[in-house]
Amino acid sequence: MPAIRSPHESGEAPQGELGGLIERERLPSGREDLPEPIVAHSQRERILVAMADSCANKGFGATTIADIVRPAGVSRATFYELFEDKEDCFQAAMELSLADAMERVVGAFSPDKPWATLVRDSAAAFLDLLASRPAFARMAMVEAPASGQRASEMHAAGKRVLLTLLDRGRDEAIEPAIPASAGRAAIAGAESLIVGQILAGNAERLRDLLPDIVYITIVPYLGQEEALRHSREVEA
Amino acid sequence: MRPQRERLLEAAVRIVAEKGYAATTIGDLTREASISRTTFYELYPDKEACFLAAFDSVVEVLMRRIVRAYEAEEHWPQRARAGLRALLETLAEEPALARLAMVDISSVGPAAQRRHRVAMQRLTPLFDEGRDFAPRGHRLPANTSRMAVGGVTGLIADDLVAGRTEQLPELLGDLLFAVLVPYVGPHAAVEEIRLGEGRPQPGAVNGPGPATAGRPPAGSP
Repeated sequence: MPAIRSPHESGEAPQGELGGLIERERLPSGREDLPEPIVAHSQRERILVAMADSCANKGFGATTIADIVRPAGVSRATFYELFEDKEDCFQAAMELSLADAMERVVGAFSPDKPWATLVRDSAAAFLDLLASRPAFARMAMVEAPASGQRASEMHAAGKRVLLTLLDRGRDEAIEPAIPASAGRAAIAGAESLIVGQILAGNAERLRDLLPDIVYITIVPYLGQEEALRHSREVEA
Repeated sequence: MRPQRERLLEAAVRIVAEKGYAATTIGDLTREASISRTTFYELYPDKEACFLAAFDSVVEVLMRRIVRAYEAEEHWPQRARAGLRALLETLAEEPALARLAMVDISSVGPAAQRRHRVAMQRLTPLFDEGRDFAPRGHRLPANTSRMAVGGVTGLIADDLVAGRTEQLPELLGDLLFAVLVPYVGPHAAVEEIRLGEGRPQPGAVNGPGPATAGRPPAGSP
């Protein structure tokens, strides 16, 4: 599992363009690269959905090829034509959900939005996405970090993108001496709350966590009063 | 000779730290603990159950040390600092235990992850005392302490994964900031880190929040 460090911590120059950032992290980037929506009914997508469902029910480790091909309505032979093995299939399912998640974040991004608004909008879009697809939410947030090298690297890369966005708050920070790890801690705190909600079987109600997550991500940079104001504003 | 169960759990901590959970076999565990397979299955139905029991025993050790250090101090920021220091020192002294409790546990499966969360959340009441201490405590979001715990364990896990186990005690300032900032804001949290290793005067930390601007500098009598 690769460690997460923000450019601030690693000493890299902050990246201006989100697109460049995503490319550097080797995440699926341009819209034309994006896979078809998950509702489409190709064999491949049915397999990916079945993979996510099985991970949600019994975890990646316990998932067998039979658990995937049966609900997907495809043969084993078809599975192995499309994917090398279980890990390869999981990877593809992860790519699909991560591309989707990153597209939401990019969608919320705009250079003229104030930083705190960007954080609010990105967090809301991210939670809405996870809430609308509980099985994928579980795969991306719970299974991925623990499911082998490739998947955990993708998960880490996604977190680095979010961290770089969040750490732009340093430009407006009211306290110059906040530790380099402040953004990483805030994201870890938000992540742990989200994972807890998913593990408790309440992924559909992830949006309820928005005021908490807005507070914890803004407070290190803008302080308690501003963080509370933004948190209350998203409560409605 | 120590009881078989105890030997087995210690063996599990060592072997899992060495080989990882997935690669560990019941044969490894019985060999390391010098017990028979029959004895293993009398104690636990499978590898996962044994691992979870080992995890529970590790958590007990950690919680005992954290709570003892925490309760030895009077005011909340010092209590938080003492508890975090005890956690970091224990993890640095016991790398195998650290990996099992903070990293390996998340790769074992849903049951282990739930167990991990329950264990982590035993820290939330300690952190939530910050609510009574902080001027804005009653207005903070409901999940503040859960997120503070998540921030602390996330930073520790990142360092363990990066192989910085021995340097964990250096993380104290970062963890202290992560715990304090939601309760007292960034100025007071940074000030509290500056008070640093030297034992601060108890009177010097009673008024967090914006009032810190008027506080005497760190270390002054």
